[in-house]
Amino acid sequence: MNLLSLRNIVFSYNGKRLFHQFSLDIPEGDFLGIIGPNGSGKTTLLKLIAGILKPSKGEVTVSGENLLCLRPKERGKLIGYMPQESHFLWNFSVREIVLMGRYPHHKRFEREGKDDFEIADWAMRMTNTFDLKERGINNISTGERQRVVLARVLTQKPKILLLDEVTSHLDIGQATDILRILQELNRWKKITCLFSVHDMNMAMLVAKRILLLSKGKAVACDIPEKVIQPELIKEAYDVTPIIGTHPELNIPWVFLNL
Amino acid sequence: MRLKDNPFLILIPLIFLAFLSLFFGSAGMDREIIFKIRLPRVLLAIFAGGVLSFVGATLQGLLENPLCDPYILGIASGATFGISLSFLFGSFSYFFIPIFAFAFSLISLFFVYILATISGRIQKLSLILSGVLVSFLFSSLSILVMVLSKKQLSQIIYLIMGNLSLLFTPLTLWIFLLTVVISIFLLFLLFSYAKELNILATGEEQAVSLGVDITNLTKVVFIISSLLVGFVVSFVGSISFVGLVVPHLARLFFGFDHRKLLPASFLFGASLLLVSDIFARTIAPVELPLSVITAIFGVPFFLYLLRKLK
Repeated sequence: MNLLSLRNIVFSYNGKRLFHQFSLDIPEGDFLGIIGPNGSGKTTLLKLIAGILKPSKGEVTVSGENLLCLRPKERGKLIGYMPQESHFLWNFSVREIVLMGRYPHHKRFEREGKDDFEIADWAMRMTNTFDLKERGINNISTGERQRVVLARVLTQKPKILLLDEVTSHLDIGQATDILRILQELNRWKKITCLFSVHDMNMAMLVAKRILLLSKGKAVACDIPEKVIQPELIKEAYDVTPIIGTHPELNIPWVFLNL
Repeated sequence: MRLKDNPFLILIPLIFLAFLSLFFGSAGMDREIIFKIRLPRVLLAIFAGGVLSFVGATLQGLLENPLCDPYILGIASGATFGISLSFLFGSFSYFFIPIFAFAFSLISLFFVYILATISGRIQKLSLILSGVLVSFLFSSLSILVMVLSKKQLSQIIYLIMGNLSLLFTPLTLWIFLLTVVISIFLLFLLFSYAKELNILATGEEQAVSLGVDITNLTKVVFIISSLLVGFVVSFVGSISFVGLVVPHLARLFFGFDHRKLLPASFLFGASLLLVSDIFARTIAPVELPLSVITAIFGVPFFLYLLRKLK
């Protein structure tokens, strides 16, 4: 059975229909890169799965259970969501931010215990933010902040990880760091990952499958070799790329031309 | 133990101030005065200062706006209108004023609730806008009533601008004590949402994805905060400044975690109002409205702290 399924999703945004009868199946352990032009619905799709937006028709199911029937905290234990940008009103310390990830696992008055601190420490080491833990979240760089938010999502211990434009504000060093972390999590912790990126090559580096979206429709959803085809990319982006091969990793690589 | 970890250490200065307030004043150390006049003042100051600051901190967290004060929900203006109206009807008694004030704060709560509900949900922006609208409506109605009952204008201003000189009869004392018990329960309920308020301050979408039920949170916090503000304003009028500034003061000392911030705000607020009341009734030949004191002395004090600690 699929871990995550979207069935006949209908969703409109400001009166404009974005998704119509959209369906998608994600098996457990999948690593799906979502690409597509601006406005194609990448972020909306992730938000629908995260429970932040609700479809007007159709359903999202996790292990066969309708997402809307789950209690919010139950959903929080299953699905972690990392937004494209994060703003923090109060200057919480990095450690406080990361520990908030334990929220769905706690009862109302439960305080953090030894286990929670251990999980938070693990997540901070994993994302290389452990040395920042006493710093204020607003006193660190954008790249560091992005990693702290990832640490919090990891502290949540979700089965499904959703990441919206993870690499958008990062330089190539920071971006590859994050992708490496995600790959490790997918490989060793069997966490199912869905992430959206603008740079297709970034997606190719780690994704097992690629979903190419255009105007709320799946142009293709398959292994990278089958999705990265000139005619499919032309259909979605209206540009004709040159497609080569990564010299070391032997994966398709997209080159642009003016 | 470091001060930073335990907000309850503020209890020490608070108790000191309470005793100072009991024994300090122009009328000396008379037993009657201490128990009949100063003790109620001390209790009201702790109650009002504490509740307003606690609610202020809660609302700044919920509405993600550091400029919010407890009156942003429009409740105080309803109570103010109730107070003015009770003057107009001539039912000038210490029994009726709080009752009238509270009844009208419930009415304004109801108005704000109806206005802010859009397709079954209360959204934060609509909550702020509705609060401001209802505030304007009731404020202008209050002014209208004050103009109509012009002879007691200064008395009304005393009551509206914050005043702790409520003389308790046995009946009002019981009502006050009952209010205090209910308020403690409501404060505890608000406190139980401290973790949600922490998470909310890191973004609404992230809060939803972590499993915070924002619709429910907004509704519950709005209703409880409104009731608490209604209680306070009904007894002592709209004391300004504390609810806005004390939460920031508490954040300077105790950080941003609402589990520490909320009790710290209560204790700081109570202490600040005790000090203000001592000033209000001793520095001038006539008793000054509390809001005047809280702002005149609070602003420089707060600016000093802000510069020193940041």
